[in-house]
Amino acid sequence: MTMTTGAASRAVGFEQVTKAYGDVRAVDGLSLELHPGETVALLGPNGAGKSTTLDLLLGLKQPDSGSVKVFGTSPRQAIVAGRVGAMLQSGGLMEDVSVVELVRLACALHPKPFKVDDVMARAGVSQIADRKVNKLSGGQAQRVRFALATAGDSDLIVLDEPTTGMDVSARQAFWATMREQADQGRTVLFATHYLEEADAIADRVLVLHRGRLLADGTAAEIKAKAGARRVSFDLEGAFDEAALRRLPFLTSIDISGQTVRVQSSDADATVHALYGLGVYPRNLEVAGLGLEQAFVAITEAEEAKQS
Amino acid sequence: MNSLIKLELARALRNRKFLFFSVIYPSALFLLIAGKADSTTKVDGSGLTLPTYMMVSMASFGALTAVLMGNSERIAKERESGWVRQLRLTMLPGRGYVLAKTASSAVVSLPSIVVVFAVAAAVKHVRLDAWQWLALTGAIWAGSLVFAALGVALGYLASGDAVRPITMIVYFGLSILGGLWMPTTAFPDWLQSATKWVPTHAYAALGQAIEESRAPHAQDIAILVVFFVLFTGGAAWLYRKDTLKA
Repeated sequence: MTMTTGAASRAVGFEQVTKAYGDVRAVDGLSLELHPGETVALLGPNGAGKSTTLDLLLGLKQPDSGSVKVFGTSPRQAIVAGRVGAMLQSGGLMEDVSVVELVRLACALHPKPFKVDDVMARAGVSQIADRKVNKLSGGQAQRVRFALATAGDSDLIVLDEPTTGMDVSARQAFWATMREQADQGRTVLFATHYLEEADAIADRVLVLHRGRLLADGTAAEIKAKAGARRVSFDLEGAFDEAALRRLPFLTSIDISGQTVRVQSSDADATVHALYGLGVYPRNLEVAGLGLEQAFVAITEAEEAKQS
Repeated sequence: MNSLIKLELARALRNRKFLFFSVIYPSALFLLIAGKADSTTKVDGSGLTLPTYMMVSMASFGALTAVLMGNSERIAKERESGWVRQLRLTMLPGRGYVLAKTASSAVVSLPSIVVVFAVAAAVKHVRLDAWQWLALTGAIWAGSLVFAALGVALGYLASGDAVRPITMIVYFGLSILGGLWMPTTAFPDWLQSATKWVPTHAYAALGQAIEESRAPHAQDIAILVVFFVLFTGGAAWLYRKDTLKA
């Protein structure tokens, strides 16, 4: 999948980047490349190192070792050149000013600014232009942050958990806004802990866990891995263990006595095949894996592959 | 950066509480202290009448309020909220934020000086030569930069709930020990000799020298310069530390 390309044609390049806080390695030997025009989701549970990765990418933090390049230069140089627009999860807003004043400031601070009205319209904040920034709801504040990130003609847009604090409908409306940025040919990188969000927007998903890159693939590939379900059942009498192990879509199987627990990337097909074996499973349960468990499943699968 | 200064300024001028304390309050305090004083009795150890003496003290106090309060609490708060981080994602140079804050608070400190002068001239009939008014305004305005730097340093030193009490202690300490609220001649001898080294004392002495039509003491200028270097250095060091941490 990974192409070897020159540094200049890379939007972002991390090489063996490590960042530790005391004993905790927030980012641990991370290497990755983003190519221009890609829409990439950085997926991981809380504490996976997503925010630290973005801070390193934006030059807000310096790596302990390794190198971070944005369009072949340092993050700060890329920002000063107006090539990067970003919204942080922890990015506060100036208080006691109105939304339009703040957007106007963001445009003035961008080397290649768009028109203030256009920025406001695209971010969906035109209706709240005169509202004071400290009187916004969580979702509105996120939209204003998005407006700040897209105030100019940047090549890379970085969004840290952009839909935090939004309800389902607001989130979907926001995805459309994000897709617009990608459709204009920009590289979009966003951190999220919603698999659904990654699936809806990203054409590439990076899964981060404990500061490491666990998986790198299309949303469909990651979904297949992370979308695994757990199937458990009891069997009476003798049964053909080998046949059970040959069930389709299994990612793992654990047989202890009469109880069988499997993980499957397509539980429907697995259960269908199970009945096809002519056995009569009792206490059949099919349960989804939470994202946290899905990450563990991916980790185990990756480790099994390596050993 | 001009756009940030403009917005900071617009915001400061909209903040009634801040305007009251930096522009109205020093003049009110001037009237309170100098109100009953006659225009002939001289303040101990100086050739100035109480209204003339207190005019400089209160103008200095007003400027101190504007720059110290304007910087420290805002910076601490915006550091905590993450606005400072967000600004670091723009082409604004790192020191641009601090310079914009200082520039906008300096704009507010100018009226706080002029209003005290106007009240003193109108109500207490303080009379000075034209060059003295101009020199006073310039000296007090320029001298306030020392405390603007202190405000920046405090804003990067303390955070959250700690910044207000720390700023208040520094603010009242500087005001009282510097003799801005009452001439230090009222203090016991040991305290008087100590207050000579307080930067606000040197700051007010600058203005009093102009009122007495004489050159300021070299010692006062030296003290202000040393504190300016100290506060600016401290602010720069704390700023860098904060940048690495954030």
